[in-house]
Amino acid sequence: MTQWTVLYRKEIKEMVRNYKILWIPIVFILLGVIKPVSSYYMPEILDTFGGLPEGTILEMPTPTGAEVLMMVLSNYGMLGVLILVLSAMGVVSAERQSGVAGMVMIKPVPYSSYILSKWAGLITITLISLFIGYVASWYYTSLLIETVAFEHVFQSLVIYSIWLVFVVTLTLFFSTIMKGNGSVAFVTIFVVFAISTVTSILGKYMKWSPATMTEHTGQVLLSGELDSSFLLAFITTIAIIIVVLISSIQIFKQKELLE
Amino acid sequence: MELLKASDLVKRFGNTNAVKGINFHIEEGRCVSLLGPNGAGKTTTLKMLSGLLEPTSGSIDFKGEKAKDLRQFIGYLPQYPAFYNWMSGKEFLVFAGQLAKLNRKETEKRSDELLERVGLTNAKKRKIGGYSGGMKQRLGLAQALIHRPKLLILDEPVSALDPLGRREVLDMMREIKEETTILFSTHVLHDAEEISDDILIMHAGEIAISGSLGSVMEEKRQPILQIEFESQAVDWLKSIASYSFVSEVNIQGNKASIILKDMVNGKQTLLKDIVDRKLPIRKFEISQTTLEDLFMEVVKA
Repeated sequence: MTQWTVLYRKEIKEMVRNYKILWIPIVFILLGVIKPVSSYYMPEILDTFGGLPEGTILEMPTPTGAEVLMMVLSNYGMLGVLILVLSAMGVVSAERQSGVAGMVMIKPVPYSSYILSKWAGLITITLISLFIGYVASWYYTSLLIETVAFEHVFQSLVIYSIWLVFVVTLTLFFSTIMKGNGSVAFVTIFVVFAISTVTSILGKYMKWSPATMTEHTGQVLLSGELDSSFLLAFITTIAIIIVVLISSIQIFKQKELLE
Repeated sequence: MELLKASDLVKRFGNTNAVKGINFHIEEGRCVSLLGPNGAGKTTTLKMLSGLLEPTSGSIDFKGEKAKDLRQFIGYLPQYPAFYNWMSGKEFLVFAGQLAKLNRKETEKRSDELLERVGLTNAKKRKIGGYSGGMKQRLGLAQALIHRPKLLILDEPVSALDPLGRREVLDMMREIKEETTILFSTHVLHDAEEISDDILIMHAGEIAISGSLGSVMEEKRQPILQIEFESQAVDWLKSIASYSFVSEVNIQGNKASIILKDMVNGKQTLLKDIVDRKLPIRKFEISQTTLEDLFMEVVKA
């Protein structure tokens, strides 16, 4: 068994022991289910709690299935990202702070194995949560509103996961270069927010931006067609992820462990 | 045989030189203690030897060859060992063993063996989070030994322990010393005197004294006179510094230690002085300088 496998198995075991493997998918399921359910029951909810004057006639267009799923993904983009970043912020920094990272690195472990096992652990929990949550959301949407073609859902899932992988990679990077868990989360959220904002404001010039993944996701859901700029964005996102990972490993090598 | 040799090892942090070009070697099978006051550069040196810290310049040879990654051959116990608190003691040892490239079966066997040896067999299934400081230190020792290292490096292995824990760890080191070479840092001089074969004294990033404990003590040994008074006698003690046979006077409250160049002549003159002046003394003792005196001499200089 390679050292990478040993470290990766330790990551998974840790997530099982501290129940991360349970509660993060549950949060994603809740975030995914609440939208179709609330859209479906909106007229009744308004009826009961709305306190509207007698005789008001409300025309509430029920959103289409694809629209509901888009809203779900935009929820994942806010709360989902927040949960992922908060749960991943200490991935390297906490181990450096406690000194246990040093205890690992005094064994003949390549620096890349350490960082890449952390990355793989984060990707695992991210993809599991997104997959389960999104499938639950799709199931409720087809139950209550309408069935969205599975291919579209699957394609959107794949594209959206690239964006989350990007976010998680950034978290790992900042967790490697900074020490305080809080500042790691703050900086990561800030950078992700900045990328999204700049991308939506300067859309024309930002066709390569990783944040366009969220737009491509919507496109696929609504029309089933991919925009031509997807390939460019896909390539740059993967390239950025690779560069960020390599720099994380290099920076980790320079850090003093066991202070 | 020479196991490890450090040549012109330098470590610079920003503008400060933590280690200023030190040279020394470690013979195979010896137990070497690295002494020095806080901030002398002991931990930095140990970290460079263990491969955790890149030296700014200089080289480390292992068994006569330039070493690239020494970590395979070295077991290291840091001053404050840290663990994954959610793991059990056994789990951590198996984890450490696998990281050191042992196979699963071998690791299991070796872990049980070491747990037995460090007296943690009964606690091996408990979470490390619930271990006491002494137990963590012993687990740290076990993880350092898991891959049968050629050189065991211990950074202040006993400083943080109570007298009982200290005794246990020292006894374990005495056993381990039969099988492997040990390099440990400490500022408890008594421990160094007790178990080490060779000593290295560091001060301000440099090696001040090195050699086998016996020969260093022999070479630096000086006769010393210890006098304890019933009340302070500072005036007289200051005046005796002018005698030609006195080389140094250290006063600590009612006690004084006087290093003499000529014991025979000196003790008689001083004793006569004391009688003449009717100085009230409680104790008048002739002894040899200890490692502590040597250490103080180096550090003060």
